[in-house]
Amino acid sequence: MERKKTQIDDVDRGIYDIKNEFTYKYKTDKGLTPEIIMEISREKNEPQWMTDFRLKSLEIYNSKPIPTWGVDLSELDMDNIITYIRPNSKMQHSWDDVPDDIKNTFELLGLPQAERESLAGVGAQYDSEVVYHNIRKELVDQGIVYTDMETALVKYEDIVKEYFMKLVPPSDHKFAALHGAVWSGGSFVYVPEGVDVDIPLQSYFRLNAPGAGQFEHTLIIVEKGARLHFIEGCSAPKYKVNNLHAGCVELFVKENASLRYSTIENWSKNMYNLNTKRAVVDKNGTIEWISGSFGSKVSMLYPMSILRGEGARSEFTGISFASTGQHLDTGTKVVHAAPYTTSTVNSKSISKDGGYAFYRGLLKVAPDAHHCKASISCESLMLDNKSKSDTLPIIQLGNDEIDVGHEAKIGRISDEAIFYLMSRGISEEEAKAMIVRGFVEPITKELPLEYAVELNNLINIELEGTIG
Amino acid sequence: MITWRRIGLKDYVFPDIKEYTKEYLKNINNIPVDVKLNKITECANNAENHKFDISEVPALGKEFTSFVESSYNSGISIYLPQNIKLKSPIRLEFNMDDKNPTVVDHNIIIAEPNSEVTIVIDYNSDNKTKTFHNGFTKVYAKEDSIVNIVKIQRINDHSYNFDSNIALVKERAIVNWISIELGSSISGSNYSSILQDMASESNLHSIYLGDGTRKMDLGYTMIHKGPKSLSTIETKGVLKDKSKKIFRGDLNFKRGARHSKGSEEEYVILLDPTVKSDSIPALLCDEDDVEGDHAVSAGKIDESKLFYLMSRGLSEKESKKLIVEASFKPIIEKIPYEDLQKVISHEVERRLING
Repeated sequence: MERKKTQIDDVDRGIYDIKNEFTYKYKTDKGLTPEIIMEISREKNEPQWMTDFRLKSLEIYNSKPIPTWGVDLSELDMDNIITYIRPNSKMQHSWDDVPDDIKNTFELLGLPQAERESLAGVGAQYDSEVVYHNIRKELVDQGIVYTDMETALVKYEDIVKEYFMKLVPPSDHKFAALHGAVWSGGSFVYVPEGVDVDIPLQSYFRLNAPGAGQFEHTLIIVEKGARLHFIEGCSAPKYKVNNLHAGCVELFVKENASLRYSTIENWSKNMYNLNTKRAVVDKNGTIEWISGSFGSKVSMLYPMSILRGEGARSEFTGISFASTGQHLDTGTKVVHAAPYTTSTVNSKSISKDGGYAFYRGLLKVAPDAHHCKASISCESLMLDNKSKSDTLPIIQLGNDEIDVGHEAKIGRISDEAIFYLMSRGISEEEAKAMIVRGFVEPITKELPLEYAVELNNLINIELEGTIG
Repeated sequence: MITWRRIGLKDYVFPDIKEYTKEYLKNINNIPVDVKLNKITECANNAENHKFDISEVPALGKEFTSFVESSYNSGISIYLPQNIKLKSPIRLEFNMDDKNPTVVDHNIIIAEPNSEVTIVIDYNSDNKTKTFHNGFTKVYAKEDSIVNIVKIQRINDHSYNFDSNIALVKERAIVNWISIELGSSISGSNYSSILQDMASESNLHSIYLGDGTRKMDLGYTMIHKGPKSLSTIETKGVLKDKSKKIFRGDLNFKRGARHSKGSEEEYVILLDPTVKSDSIPALLCDEDDVEGDHAVSAGKIDESKLFYLMSRGLSEKESKKLIVEASFKPIIEKIPYEDLQKVISHEVERRLING
């Protein structure tokens, strides 16, 4: 029997697509030249070493070829991307001082409300600069620093100089070099030894300007025995021109410390998301990644955990959802560089309506990293056969005292499952949505509540009208 | 010149190919007259007559396969007419020595509808000569035919071995590959099946044993094009000493391969801290209505099994040997000759005990 499908092509992404008029206080010209880089640095009043660092990064950027594997980057024209846009607002510590149009955007995204209800601190970035940063007083009293990178560069210059782009050096790849040259905004978190931050901090990155790039830098240092949960949210309205996001996240997890890093990325479908995230974990420390990739036209995102201390642990839980016109090339890298380290990877992907979901992963065990344990599980669900879904986990083992397991599955929703649910009086669409929600449930339960709700809404929006 | 980084080849140049003078076709009695079985060197045109399109599969790469097509010195061409089912296998043995140090075998197997054949090829050598093997085997399995190919590679530790195998599998036909990889200092072997039509099927079962400084690159590909096509990849291996292995297994579901199923498993036992084991199992999917899964597991030998056996008075080496043998046995038993089964079991035993 021929199965018919009806589709709704472009779903209304609701609040994410509300755009503000493009206003700014200052912006650079399009493209990349040493003059533009120096202008950005001057505009930000940076120390000389940072200016030099930016110029050096630009040189590396120009010397590196565009990656030819993975996704197609041929439409990305760097000469047409505005790298720096200062919004019409200074950084504020109260929402009342933030201009109305910007404030309303974040109100719609629910950030101030979340701050009141469930967060210990919030940062909000609009285009290239952070417009709001606030942290509860009791956290400040414990010595926790949570601020924007620009302030950190002034107030904590020594720490920034010690850690900035040491884990992801500009020489890593072309877009890391680009980031080094034009980075702006982002958050800086420092949790002193033994401090347990029991409610999460959240930074939200919103790119409003068309044809622009966002290059925020997040640097988190969790000292010995400390604990932190950090949430990162990203979104942008849809434009006809391409936007670029090449952020960088560097996480330092010290002895016995633990960090949970959650991301919900919901960029619009004109966004190139070429983000680099990396964590290094010392003895008995833990890094937990929760990663949701839903938006963007093209994504290349492989959060990496380097387990360099004995007994370090990493856990990666990721989901990606690729729909029309999207190519999401995501995964994770884990390097076991010390004995007795453990890692778990749990990845799920859904592709529909011509979307392309690619899991690309690396597990590497160094020769002296004995008694390691690693397990990888990848599951892919395809909702129709216009879509594509590939899985490529690379496993490199350098010694024998290890225990490694890998499993992957690919397939569609079984007709029996739909039939069963329909025989119980559930409509076909609802049955499909239920099964998809069940598929992603192990991940949604790891998310903060409001994001879990958001994810479920997104699945409902995306599945509506798909009669399979 | 060939550079193959993963396996340690840099600017490699193929040696001069000498004539292979030994008799390698072992049993050609009892073969029905209408089966055309020839040495490829004696029927130069045969290869051209049965060209079929397998260009989408690179196998080990054009450098290797074109070299075989232009410089082969041995191999067979076999044509099975419709409905002919050969009861006993066809057996080939290549034994390389200082007089015959190179084997470049080109094998073409055409199975007409509803025919059946098993071909066993044993590649071995003396203990000391630096030998070279580069082979290319093409299988064309037409509707409802069954082709079983068994390849045993136990060439000495000074040699290089390269082997490309491609099958085109038509409606309801089955191609089974059995690969036993025990030898050579560098070994690249590739098996690919194109499951062209409705209910085409291909299965691959392989074992490998890495010891000394052996480097192996094992590539297996199943391309599902026809609906309801089926494939299995099952690989079991052991690595010891300073050996290195790369396993690549691709399950590739093309659009239109509805209701197809593919599964892939690799189990490797690591016996020494100095081994290197890379696994790259890929699942590529253009079609939603399929089931594909893969699993890889790697690690030390199961401690509880080892403890149990040792508590019964076996030495550690004996116990390890027994566990490895148990994992290899189901695949070794698929070889249709008892003498070869014994040779392989002894070889595995010798290397595990003495190494």
